[in-house]
Amino acid sequence: MVALVIVSTFVVLLLGILVAGLLRSHADILRALHDLGAGVGDPAVAPGVTTAVAAPVTLATPASAPALGAAPTVAGVTPTGDARAIAVDNTDDFTLLGFLSSGCTGCAAFWDALQEPGRLQLPDRTRVVIVTKGPDREVPSEVQARTTGQVPVVMSTDAWVDYQVPGSPFFVLVDGATGHKVGQGVASQVGQLAELVRRAEHDRGRAGGGRGRGEASPDGPAREAAADEVLAAAGIFPGDPSLYPRTLDDLFPHGGAVRAE
Amino acid sequence: MATIGAHGITARLPSGFEGRIFVRPASVGVTYPVGQFATFPIPDDIGDFGSGAVTVMGPSDVFATLFEYGPESVGSALFAQQGRPSALAASDFSPMTLRRGIPGQSGTQWFFTESGRPFSFYAVLGSHALRTALVPHVNTLLASLTLSPAVSDLPAARPRWN
Repeated sequence: MVALVIVSTFVVLLLGILVAGLLRSHADILRALHDLGAGVGDPAVAPGVTTAVAAPVTLATPASAPALGAAPTVAGVTPTGDARAIAVDNTDDFTLLGFLSSGCTGCAAFWDALQEPGRLQLPDRTRVVIVTKGPDREVPSEVQARTTGQVPVVMSTDAWVDYQVPGSPFFVLVDGATGHKVGQGVASQVGQLAELVRRAEHDRGRAGGGRGRGEASPDGPAREAAADEVLAAAGIFPGDPSLYPRTLDDLFPHGGAVRAE
Repeated sequence: MATIGAHGITARLPSGFEGRIFVRPASVGVTYPVGQFATFPIPDDIGDFGSGAVTVMGPSDVFATLFEYGPESVGSALFAQQGRPSALAASDFSPMTLRRGIPGQSGTQWFFTESGRPFSFYAVLGSHALRTALVPHVNTLLASLTLSPAVSDLPAARPRWN
């Protein structure tokens, strides 16, 4: 009888330890979900009310950007089997890389939003690129089904390794002026991406970033008007003989003329 | 240094370059591979020879297109040169060799046959005045290309449109 009591007590204690461990594990999971913005049952929030949740998106200032490391070129294939390489250091603008999967439920909203830059309300001239794993890990037809053609979609497992992507969805913001990552992490809401870019833009503005590649050339009437303005400032008006060169030497008077092909 | 390859064309992209190698969907007939390479972000909706891209490039930028023609062009006088040009000189670029004349820019175009495939290589410099500094970038790109004989996924091997 005594032995039975001892055994029962031992079993109860063992089960109690197991239950405590499970509860602790459950709490860890809930805490992680909450940190990701997917927390439920928060008594501080009334049912049906959504609030902005702090997401684990880290954003470094330009001064500390090297700490996040250089951003390598993203090279791979498209869902249709073509080849594509995106260099993220050949512009003064920001590039937002969205590492998504075709099958991840948390990615669905980002697939839609990233391919509608207007909806995302990103700062002007922010380049958006979606990166999935390569054809060895993803089914190209499923990726293609999610592609609208509005932004480049590159399938590259190497890029996931290069950028040390822990899982999807994951985002990396690259400052093309430095070629370095200035922010990376997980966003739970689409709006957080725009905020990430705006903060980086603001920080760079204060730091005086950019390497002066210059604005893109205007096109059409704007280009014509700009040219007229420059010419007028130089004292060249309609009918000026210099506007009607007859030979290449007229264009390159200092021996710079080249043979016409 | 990134490497991309598709449709029998491989490019080991020099630093600062990005690119794409694709076959444009054909509504009628057959289309062939095109490679586009640039030192600036290539817009998605540009023409094969860079229309829509050369207007956004800066003075220090380079744009290049490798365009494959149909197998019927092999053996024609235009593609008589065997192999790509080994190295281009600054004097090979001219403001008169632009598909779309944009003041300040200059270009060059070469037709040749390599690995039994007829190609055109067309390159644009953002500034003719900077050609001495920019042409080496074009040559590095040119040397980085590997053109393989026609492979099974090439359109030439597909059933012809009837």
